[in-house]
Amino acid sequence: MSVTLPSTGRWDAFREDFAKAPAFLRRDLISLFSYRIAYLTDWINIVVQVFLFYFVSMLVPPDRLPTYGGEQVSYLEYVAVALTLTSFVQAGLGRLIAAIRNEQLMGTLESLMVAPMSPEMLQFGSMVYDLIYVPLRTAIFLILVSVLFGVQFNVAGLVPTSVIFVFFMPFMWGLGILSAAAVLTFKRGAGVVGIVGTVLTFTSGAYFPISYLPPWLQWVAEWNPITVAVEASRQALLATITWAEVGEAVALIVPFSIASLAAGVAAFRLAMRRERRRGTMSLY
Amino acid sequence: MAVDHRDDVGVGVGRRSEPFPVVEVTDVARRFGEAEALRSVSLSVNAGEIHALLGPNGAGKTTLMRILTGLLERHGGEVKVFGTSMDDVPLRDYRRAFGFIPSGDRSFYLRLSGIENLLFFGRLSGMDKVRARARAAACLEDVGLGDVGKKMVGLYSHGMQKRLAVARALLMDPSLLYIDEATHDLDPSGAHRVRQLVRARAQQGAAVLWATQRLDEIRGFADRVTLLHQGLVRFVGTVDELMAMVTIDRYALDLDGGPRSAADVTELARSAIGEMGSIAPKAGSEGRHYELALGAGASIGRVVWALEQAGVQVRSCREERSGIESAFLHLTEATE
Repeated sequence: MSVTLPSTGRWDAFREDFAKAPAFLRRDLISLFSYRIAYLTDWINIVVQVFLFYFVSMLVPPDRLPTYGGEQVSYLEYVAVALTLTSFVQAGLGRLIAAIRNEQLMGTLESLMVAPMSPEMLQFGSMVYDLIYVPLRTAIFLILVSVLFGVQFNVAGLVPTSVIFVFFMPFMWGLGILSAAAVLTFKRGAGVVGIVGTVLTFTSGAYFPISYLPPWLQWVAEWNPITVAVEASRQALLATITWAEVGEAVALIVPFSIASLAAGVAAFRLAMRRERRRGTMSLY
Repeated sequence: MAVDHRDDVGVGVGRRSEPFPVVEVTDVARRFGEAEALRSVSLSVNAGEIHALLGPNGAGKTTLMRILTGLLERHGGEVKVFGTSMDDVPLRDYRRAFGFIPSGDRSFYLRLSGIENLLFFGRLSGMDKVRARARAAACLEDVGLGDVGKKMVGLYSHGMQKRLAVARALLMDPSLLYIDEATHDLDPSGAHRVRQLVRARAQQGAAVLWATQRLDEIRGFADRVTLLHQGLVRFVGTVDELMAMVTIDRYALDLDGGPRSAADVTELARSAIGEMGSIAPKAGSEGRHYELALGAGASIGRVVWALEQAGVQVRSCREERSGIESAFLHLTEATE
């Protein structure tokens, strides 16, 4: 019998890796469910956030806000849509960093690294739980706002919004992977990417119209993929949006998503290679 | 004891019955800055063999293990596994070939149960859910954790976590095991159990590279030894060959001088031994326990005979340091 190392083709490797995603999901579900109180505090935070913006909306006259479909909207309606998107931003930016950092601190990172899988699977696996939980959380958030304060969202806008989110997520995911690469390399170096995330959110028009920004920042905001996604989602959920308009938004977002994801994956691979070279993978 | 699950799982790499080198390490080198952690290290491990990688702290054992598992790049030399250079296959494929027990005591998810941890790592290794669950349960039984498999790992003792690490390494039924300091802080029965499990795998044909700094555990366990010190291979051979590197010249004696005082027994023993060596009571032993240093050309038999002739009964006699410890110190202290 000949004795050889097993060999996997590129496609088989991808397929085999993808089949590991449920294992990550199960791990995270069991682990997070063991911290039940964390779920409770998360939901308390959501409710508090809803009430906070409800009271803030009393201070903001609707005529200070843009109109959607020719109708004036309340500040709560205006900000609620953006909050659904920023929760994806936070998850995209924060989850992978937290996962890598946790693995380092728990000492499990090297155990994962000796498993036969690609670095991309480690990234994807760490995100699977959020890919399911965040949309669910977002839907419940919108239902809560709608039920408690009678805010009417255009249900027909959910599908176009989801399409926009699908193309937008890789942008945030890429930034998240970049941050994770920074954590691997500088151990506590995620702050730089965090600042980028803050600037992007600040200029996104999520909390106030970008028309209030200085002209030069308005120019930045117009090219900010978060702004594009937020505005298209508002259009879809607070008024109506045509598929042509969805296509325009997606066309603006996609180049950023590709660039961000490619940069993230490349940076993570470089970071891993560097750690293998230096032997500092498990240091934190 | 370990059970062979190869037939029902079939995830191990190909096997053949006759001994052959599973791992061949040739002139491997690694630096950390200016410090040379490994200098031209070579060794090989055959199928069915337990090869001890022995060395004091900082010898380079863990560095070599990390290179062999692909966690660390080497700066020179070659590593072949099953005759194939590890550079010629993608790391993910290379990592299918071995099971690994890391030296650290934290390598599991503490909020997950033992079986869930094994299930997770089994899935990552490429098993489907049904197989992974079957293997996880079987491996837990093998390491004696079957009855606590559903307990959170955070509630496991250190020894139990170590056994769980053994179970994880065996999940894929590998033909090669890299084991880094698996027993260094286990109690004797825990360490014995781990060694039994590993021995069973070797008897089934697995090649085992076992890094340790514990001299006591390699006698009667390891088939061959590579002694590593300051990044250099100081010795390669069997345990018996290692022990033959030095002549034992220090013994602990338990003497009974009858009604004589401790001082008298000491004086009597010294005069009986004469030029054959020097003997001194151990502190606080009240004239019973002595340390003997044999002189050149003297034999322990003649010393015992002389003491008995002088009326001092030798109740016991043992090597002050084990032969293997003497050899270890001889080979490592020579370079200090």
